[in-house]
Amino acid sequence: MPKPTPFHARTSALCSSLFWKEWAGYHAVRSYDTSHEAEYQAIRHAAALLDVTPLYKYEVRGADAAAFLAWVTVRDIRKLKVGRVTYLCWCDDAGKVVDDGTVARLAENAFRVTAAEPALAWLRTHARGFDVEIDESTEQLGALALQGPFSRDILADVTDADIRALKFFAVTRAHIHGTETWISRTGYTGDLGYEIWVPRERALQVWDVLMDAGRSYRLLPAGLDALDVARVEAGFLMNGVDYFSSNHCPIESRKSTPFELGLGWTVKLERDPFVGQRALQRESQSGPRWGFVGLEIDWVEYERLFAEFGLPPQVPGAAWRAAVPVYDLRGHQVGRATSGAWSPILKRNLALASVRSEFGSVGTRLRIEVTAEYQRRAIAATVRATPFYNPERKRAT
Amino acid sequence: MSATYDVIVIGAGHNGLTTAAALGRAGRRVLVVEARDVAGGLAASEEFHPGYRSAGLLHDTSGVGSDIVAALGLERHGLRLRRQAADVLTLGDPGDALLLCGEPRRAVAEIESRSAHDAQSYVRYRDALDTWRGILRPFLNEPPVDLLAPESSGAWDLLKRGLRLRRLGRRDLLELLRLTPMCVADWLGEWFETDLLKAGLALPAVAGTFMAPRSPGSNATLLLREGAAGPGIETGAHTLIEALQRAAEAAGVEVRMGAPVSRVGVEGHVRGVRLADGEELQAAVVAASCHPATLFLRLLEPSRVPLRVAHAIGRYRSRGTTAHVLLALRSPLRFRGRDDAPEFARIAGGIDAIERAFDCAKHRRMPHAPVLEVHVPSLASPELAPEGHAVVSILAHFVPYALDGGWDESRRTQLGDRIEETLAAHCDGLDVAARQVATPVDLEARYALPGGNIHHGEHSLDQLLVRPIPECNQYRTPIPGLFLCGSGSHPGGGLSCTPGMLAARAILAR
Amino acid sequence: MSGESAASTPRQASRPSRSSYDAIVIGGGHNGLVCAAYLARAGRSVLLLERRHLLGGSAVSEEIYPGFIYSSCSYIVSLLRPQIVRELDLARHGLEIIPLESTFTPYPDGRSLARWSDPARTREEIRRFSARDADVYPEFGLAMGRLAHFAKNVVDVPAPDPASLDPRELLKLRRLGRTFLDFDGDLRWLNLKLMTMSATDFLSLWFENEQLMAPMSASGIIGTLLGVRSPGTAYVLLHHYMGEIDGAYRAWGFSRGGMGRISEAIGRAAEAHAAEIVTRAGVQRVLLRSGKARGVVLESGEELQARVVISALDPRRTFLQLVGEEHLDAEFVTAIRRFKLRGSSGKVNLALDRLPDFKARPGDGPHIRGDISIAPDFDYLERAYDQAKYGSFSERPFMNIVIPSLVDPSVAPPGKHVMSIFVQWAPYHLAEGAHTWPQRREAFADAVVSTLAEYCPGLPDAILHRQVLTPWDLEQEYGLSEGNIFHGELSMEQLLFLRPAAGWARYRTPIRNLWMCGSGTHPGGGVMGGPGELAAKTLLKAGEI
Repeated sequence: MPKPTPFHARTSALCSSLFWKEWAGYHAVRSYDTSHEAEYQAIRHAAALLDVTPLYKYEVRGADAAAFLAWVTVRDIRKLKVGRVTYLCWCDDAGKVVDDGTVARLAENAFRVTAAEPALAWLRTHARGFDVEIDESTEQLGALALQGPFSRDILADVTDADIRALKFFAVTRAHIHGTETWISRTGYTGDLGYEIWVPRERALQVWDVLMDAGRSYRLLPAGLDALDVARVEAGFLMNGVDYFSSNHCPIESRKSTPFELGLGWTVKLERDPFVGQRALQRESQSGPRWGFVGLEIDWVEYERLFAEFGLPPQVPGAAWRAAVPVYDLRGHQVGRATSGAWSPILKRNLALASVRSEFGSVGTRLRIEVTAEYQRRAIAATVRATPFYNPERKRAT
Repeated sequence: MSATYDVIVIGAGHNGLTTAAALGRAGRRVLVVEARDVAGGLAASEEFHPGYRSAGLLHDTSGVGSDIVAALGLERHGLRLRRQAADVLTLGDPGDALLLCGEPRRAVAEIESRSAHDAQSYVRYRDALDTWRGILRPFLNEPPVDLLAPESSGAWDLLKRGLRLRRLGRRDLLELLRLTPMCVADWLGEWFETDLLKAGLALPAVAGTFMAPRSPGSNATLLLREGAAGPGIETGAHTLIEALQRAAEAAGVEVRMGAPVSRVGVEGHVRGVRLADGEELQAAVVAASCHPATLFLRLLEPSRVPLRVAHAIGRYRSRGTTAHVLLALRSPLRFRGRDDAPEFARIAGGIDAIERAFDCAKHRRMPHAPVLEVHVPSLASPELAPEGHAVVSILAHFVPYALDGGWDESRRTQLGDRIEETLAAHCDGLDVAARQVATPVDLEARYALPGGNIHHGEHSLDQLLVRPIPECNQYRTPIPGLFLCGSGSHPGGGLSCTPGMLAARAILAR
Repeated sequence: MSGESAASTPRQASRPSRSSYDAIVIGGGHNGLVCAAYLARAGRSVLLLERRHLLGGSAVSEEIYPGFIYSSCSYIVSLLRPQIVRELDLARHGLEIIPLESTFTPYPDGRSLARWSDPARTREEIRRFSARDADVYPEFGLAMGRLAHFAKNVVDVPAPDPASLDPRELLKLRRLGRTFLDFDGDLRWLNLKLMTMSATDFLSLWFENEQLMAPMSASGIIGTLLGVRSPGTAYVLLHHYMGEIDGAYRAWGFSRGGMGRISEAIGRAAEAHAAEIVTRAGVQRVLLRSGKARGVVLESGEELQARVVISALDPRRTFLQLVGEEHLDAEFVTAIRRFKLRGSSGKVNLALDRLPDFKARPGDGPHIRGDISIAPDFDYLERAYDQAKYGSFSERPFMNIVIPSLVDPSVAPPGKHVMSIFVQWAPYHLAEGAHTWPQRREAFADAVVSTLAEYCPGLPDAILHRQVLTPWDLEQEYGLSEGNIFHGELSMEQLLFLRPAAGWARYRTPIRNLWMCGSGTHPGGGVMGGPGELAAKTLLKAGEI
């Protein structure tokens, strides 16, 4: 039975559609209105407020906190400056990805880790020999994502922090109408945006302040359906959809390495030992077997396929997550597309896929399975660089 | 930077010395570093009271195989094997005694005085053990199956061993598969009716384990012990150490006492060791005869140990259940009503008595009636005690490491008193000049035994089949150049020296 | 009660219609019935003989107190092989299984833990005891699922014979070996550990919290004279994970109308294939002529002929009672005598006037609709076991409780309830002798009720009637030698090719034309049906009828 987040009193009052889903044990809104369309548009053109409390959060503190995180994750966290956030993944001994998430350095010896899956046991098991304390703060903190081109203006109106100076992937302590919060310039939309971490007992006040301040910027509360479309446009992968944690794979072949997921850029190989280092060093020499790529599904063929049945092209209203096979031009299966969406802003039919690495370079022509009128067909798709959508404002200060 | 060696062996116990001697004889430049001031580990002889020396804590030398004695030339260095296994007196309720003779005909005669049925059974029992010994010994004297081997080579290895087992013949093979996972109480119950006889045979099988006679799998430890059993050596374990040390030194091995290791250096590959005083010693190979947990969780930097290994070693069970008492007696030890003076005795009234003693350990209580293995080493080595005096070494089983409330001085004394009283009940007075009592916690501190287990990890079916963990099952470790060579490796604890010998072979084969 | 009555309808003690059959099955428990049904389905003429007035053996529904249907002995369907349900079309013959939703454990400190089929909900429950263990719980499930996959290869086929020289056997062994080697190293090791470790040690490889582990570990000792710390108890934990990989999600459940309904359904399936079933027909002995089984002699003295006789009774009864050791060679007799039965459990069934509250979580919630374990910690379980080791019943026992009337109102009058309490340990061999059980019976039940009352204070006042089954009663009334519910301990040395005796694990016996199909053969006890199915299939394949 899912439990309510600290914002539930507000989100449930606003959720006129009654479209909910379970997310990590919490009730989460899929869309407030029966269509997520307006919420998506708010993310891209105005501002949207999302309740992301269910994201798992862990506080890592202690003299060895940096050394510990450098040991359990693929990044050399010791180099992360106070007030900065980084995106990364962590692996098992065999170099297979366990989860991806962010690490924020809140103080010299205090870090906050976010994760898609429970990680307490994993972190604690591996803390042997390190002077660290690891606590879960998922329940103590409410988390909001304020995303969209006007998110900065809204936040600047309500906090004492110099939000306009806050750089991409920076984090700061800030008061929102007297409530002490942490604000990081991060998000899962690939747009300008912030995440706000607030003690659960002050959660509703902060929600109200933001909604009030946002009114003049056409701020809308948004649900997970809108976020899903935005994250596909941003090319972000998702644990449990685009890959599976090595902790939960019944078979080896289902596990992935960071290189196979396009997260090679997060891996710092040449440094002190870290979990999975040796396996990853070997892989970096031999090259990954898989590549994680963006695909653009050919629109002309798509239209033609539907036209065969006398139908106009039908694009899915929401992002999809049911994996479909990807073929090379000779019809051999070379991978799988694991999620996708019609991008309203790009007017393109997009997918994220794992393909054999020799088919992973940008521009490669492949074929993807599409079902039209109960028939499965393969139509053209081209490997594209991700993010598909990458506005200037995301990074600009 | 200082001296460089081919191999540094950590620990000068019987296994460490065996590895060192074998490698020395193969021409390697070997250094043994020992934390304590005496060599021998659990078999070290120490003066525990002026004029009285122990012969080490391990009584049972039956695992010392003639092949290792020959391979290391130990006889040239003064070691003498017995021709016949030693007699062991089994004592039940005061006045109730049964002599288990090493010589088969005498053994049968002794048992016959109790039960004709059991005497007949005993002959068949020994025959059966002889059959099993023939099949078990090769398994004990070679490295175990590599569980992590890729499918093809793993299959080949399994097949080879499977075929060897099948040579037993259908009946014996099925019987072996039946009796291995059994409990000793049931198996001995199928043979014998005399409780004292069963207790005498069962006790060594469960000694040092966290199992009682009714624990399934305890029969495997009985088979393990019997599979390796030879007649033993004529004198105490300390003479084995002396011979090993001389053999090692004769092979050019350097042995340094009082040199505790604080860190095993690793940079991709083993680099050597750092001693507690800061001295660095270099070697391309380090062989650790210490407890696997000591190596992986203390001597190696955490970031050098793969997570799976650290996790698995953390769960390697090593609960101590043994306490040790040394008595300095002003007169020889005499058992009441007996004019013989056996060197070995077991005090365990019956299967239930052992089981109940174990219950105490299981529930973390002080044992009410401890079961004892008694050894009088001064009989075979009179130099250990002043003339006419005696040294008595007692292993008390099922004394919990994790006693509720913890061990302290008064509880140690209480334990010592109980053990001494238990022995005294069978003797015509004990003229005790001095007593040394070591609880499992004391043993842990003295011999670096995490958890206090004297076998460097419990003997149980799972920890005998894969010892200590699959990654290190073949003496190698995941760290290149680092090897295990102690009782925490196949075939386990006790005075066999086999882990040390097999480790040396693995090192030479690399 | 009307036509909806759930009690097993006692069969008419009809007479066999003929004097000679292809096969006579002795014993109308679920395995005997399954075996008879399969043989009949293959077109053989089959007669099944049951001593009692009703079918089911230990899988029975009995209305001992008016209006209340007790599943007197077995009380949950766990591993009933899905192919039996399919091949005998049991759903058509009345089988209805209601899935078990949860496992609930109250603790003396007033806390409680319920584990649900919903993982997120289970996580929240476990988090109150250990956040770390809540994270690990799904990983444990994953590992067990993978191990169960291996076990399935063992359970659903006749036991491999490691000593055989038959190339077909070698091929089978090789296939089994390959399944093992197909595992990655970790899983090979885990498999080894599972087969050898104690339930507590095995669980400790994952978990740290004893309140979580204790009720989990208790499933390892059901029906054995072992404690949760005894090596060799870990593998039984697999049973909980076998159901899922059978493709029968939530295979654990209540049989609507009580366990007898399962037997009834199998009986009907057998009859649909023209098998004859006769109750109140105890078999006195197997009819032997020149060393071969030719039929049976009933207690009435009547003789019936058959080409093969198949006994669903336990091995001791089959060989030492129905055959007689004078007809067997000494070595085999020794093996059968050594086969350990030593029942260790009892059963208390209660008719309740009202539903009592569990102090730790009061109310008629979903938490009590599954099974309820009284297993608060390891030491509690071990102390209970220690008493049994020395020949007395546990004064504060481990209990596994279900209240089937909560999900199946047909087993009790409206508003009233039936509570089934499986109790361990109740050793058959009391220190004063098994025959003293009748004098200890009420004291035993009192211990059960008073222990449960500590968690459920209103219980004693709600009891309208109680049925107490000690191991002695299980032997006397239900024909289970030494009261062993599995026809022989499921310990490693009595499994696979060693069940019931080395060399005789393929349902055949040293007596020609006499076969076995009871729980004393591979794959063993529980309302699984495997022995009955495999015996029938083996027999048909052998072409002897």
